Amino acid sequence: MKNKLILFWIIIALTLVCAFVDYKKPASLGLDLVGGSRLMLEAQTSPTTPKITPEIMDSLQYAIENRVNAMGVGETLVQRVGQKRLLVEIPNITDTAKAKEFIGQTAELEFKRPKILMNGTQDWESTGLSGKDLKKALVGSNPTSGEWMVELEFNLDGAKKFSDLTKELTGKQMAIFFNGKMQSAPRVNEQITGGRAQITGGEGGFEYEEAKQMVDLLNAGALPVGAEVIQEESVGPTLGIDSINKSKIAGLIGIGAVMLFMIIYYRALGVISCFALLIYSIVNFAIFKLVPVTLTLTGIAGFILSIGMAIDANILIFERTKEELRMGRSLFTAINSGFDRAFTSIFDSNVSTILTCLILYYFGASMVKGFALTLIIGVCLSMFSAITVTKNFMHLVFGTSELKYPALFGLRKEEIESAYVAQQTKREKAKFGVLD
Amino acid sequence: MANTNLVKEKYRLDIIKYRYLFLGITAILLIPCIIAIIYLMSTQKNHAPLKLGIDFTGGTILQYSVDKKIETSEIGKIRTTLVNQGVKNPVIQTTTQGSDNLVSIRTTFLGDKESKDKAGEITNTLNQNFGKFELVQVNSVGPTLGKELLRNTLTALLLSFVLMVVYISFRFRFEYGWIALLTLFQDALFVVGIFAIKGIFFDTTIDSLFITAILTVIGYSINDTIVVFDRIRENMRFLAKKYSSNEIINASINQTLARSINTSATTLFTLLALYFFGGATIKDFVLAIIIGVISGTCSSIFTAGTILSIVKEKMAKKNA
Repeated sequence: MKNKLILFWIIIALTLVCAFVDYKKPASLGLDLVGGSRLMLEAQTSPTTPKITPEIMDSLQYAIENRVNAMGVGETLVQRVGQKRLLVEIPNITDTAKAKEFIGQTAELEFKRPKILMNGTQDWESTGLSGKDLKKALVGSNPTSGEWMVELEFNLDGAKKFSDLTKELTGKQMAIFFNGKMQSAPRVNEQITGGRAQITGGEGGFEYEEAKQMVDLLNAGALPVGAEVIQEESVGPTLGIDSINKSKIAGLIGIGAVMLFMIIYYRALGVISCFALLIYSIVNFAIFKLVPVTLTLTGIAGFILSIGMAIDANILIFERTKEELRMGRSLFTAINSGFDRAFTSIFDSNVSTILTCLILYYFGASMVKGFALTLIIGVCLSMFSAITVTKNFMHLVFGTSELKYPALFGLRKEEIESAYVAQQTKREKAKFGVLD
Repeated sequence: MANTNLVKEKYRLDIIKYRYLFLGITAILLIPCIIAIIYLMSTQKNHAPLKLGIDFTGGTILQYSVDKKIETSEIGKIRTTLVNQGVKNPVIQTTTQGSDNLVSIRTTFLGDKESKDKAGEITNTLNQNFGKFELVQVNSVGPTLGKELLRNTLTALLLSFVLMVVYISFRFRFEYGWIALLTLFQDALFVVGIFAIKGIFFDTTIDSLFITAILTVIGYSINDTIVVFDRIRENMRFLAKKYSSNEIINASINQTLARSINTSATTLFTLLALYFFGGATIKDFVLAIIIGVISGTCSSIFTAGTILSIVKEKMAKKNA
């Protein structure tokens, strides 16, 4: 009895700690609940880079991370998936089309020199000076015309290249290409040694937005290879809030219905299972927050489903206990053997659920992973809750007392008495916990 | 140890006496499902047993919340407008949940660079011509990724079937393993069949969440079947000398009957709450699990025990 009391207080203490965690720590919510975009990018091979190596992926990831951070929208995520894919998560954005364009641009800056073709027309050829030689870019404005422009500052190497190039091209034109498109082609008047240059937007100049975007892209760095969006999931913020509210309502109604059913059908045992379920939910949410599990709509569905499964362990135990009581066992023995005998069922059935969840987690898309993870946590926790919490409460409430009111267990008196007669001779043995 | 009184003359539910009746009913219920599956497999270009959604074929779904209810007559108009704008094969569906009106437009993949801001254009057109459309959700899957997802999910399904059989054969006996597989197959067939029928009549397509639902159902149903088998195993251990396998199986199923029904009832409570009050986007997902849970409970009560009794009878005859 003393051990049971100690266990009881441990359970209560644990629950209080978990409740505190639930109260203090904010839940991390998935994009489908807060709104935002999840993009899957795939690196594209080209004639110049026929194979995507891990090094290319590293620099691609770095460049994309820089760009996503430049958007300044809070907790973003850029993650490698497989050999040539990146998962990008951007919360709280509304214009996904713009975001996609911003992220997917190669953003290659090139300085080109004029080249006369065989047929006499003029074309441009690369000079080797590119966006890689930049130290940083800034948005500036032309002091005379007031037009927006992009100011470039080269690194040491770049400054030297630029100085050589301007010396070579003095009196000729030099073109600046961005993303394969010519931005401007000014005439070089003299050698420029300061390591600085400007890009004016050609005729009419840049819009501020245009200049700002180019600066952000230049500072973030060019992508080493092209990247295409192959999957997109975007959710508007209103739908997200709506989903949270609906899930809350559904969860409460679901739990309420389960509790009501348990109390009506199993009476006193049902009340105990309700407390166990309450503790289960509190601890479960604390685990979600501590791991942390990012809650998505399907994750919440997994949790709500796990409530149904958590109660299953209780039902198995209660049915077994009732059966033992019908056979005329004492309360204490009935509870213990109810647990012992239900355990193999609980164990085997839960292991099979965990196995399927592991498969889901391994093969599933991100949406599926959330569901599998919450269900695995739920199933594992439910075994603990049924075997520790429910059993402890049952022992504490009923102790070693006699079964005076069978109605408390949803049993009829006649049911038991008839069994008593049949089992009369064995009652003494049963009292000592010996099962025949 | 096990109570010999459990084997009775009369049961609440005499599984063994009516076993061919129960198996017959199951077969009859499965027939429309099988017909729907065969129909889709023979009429669809990709020979899939279900109408596949963009997750597997590639494509884009734009979901709008609209300030008023869109009538069926208007859907045709929206389609023509979009087609004129160069949107390929748009499929337009409306759903209403409470006061929310949702319109979803499914079309070919819009994520690639050529169709830059096609989604924005569609939104503008809708807003100019048909009322206030707010873009609440975009799902896009590239065609190559779709094929990959399909392959992955099929692998997952197959693997889970195999794992279940191995686990049960290991914990129980081999015949339990393949009978459990049979019940799983029945449940999966039932869910797939109903969604095939839904696909034929309501153009319902399935996504990766549907596969998740099937796997969940498999996990749940095996759970149910194991509880029944566990009871049979336990009773066999102590009563096999006194009673025939049929009597033991019948008693075991009746012992676990209350548990089977109560557990599926509580699970269904939570699922129904999710179906009626939860988010609109997971409605079909929850529906698939609901169907599977009902089927899983029935299959563990009616299919698993009856087939086991037939098998055990055959095995006893062989040994005799």
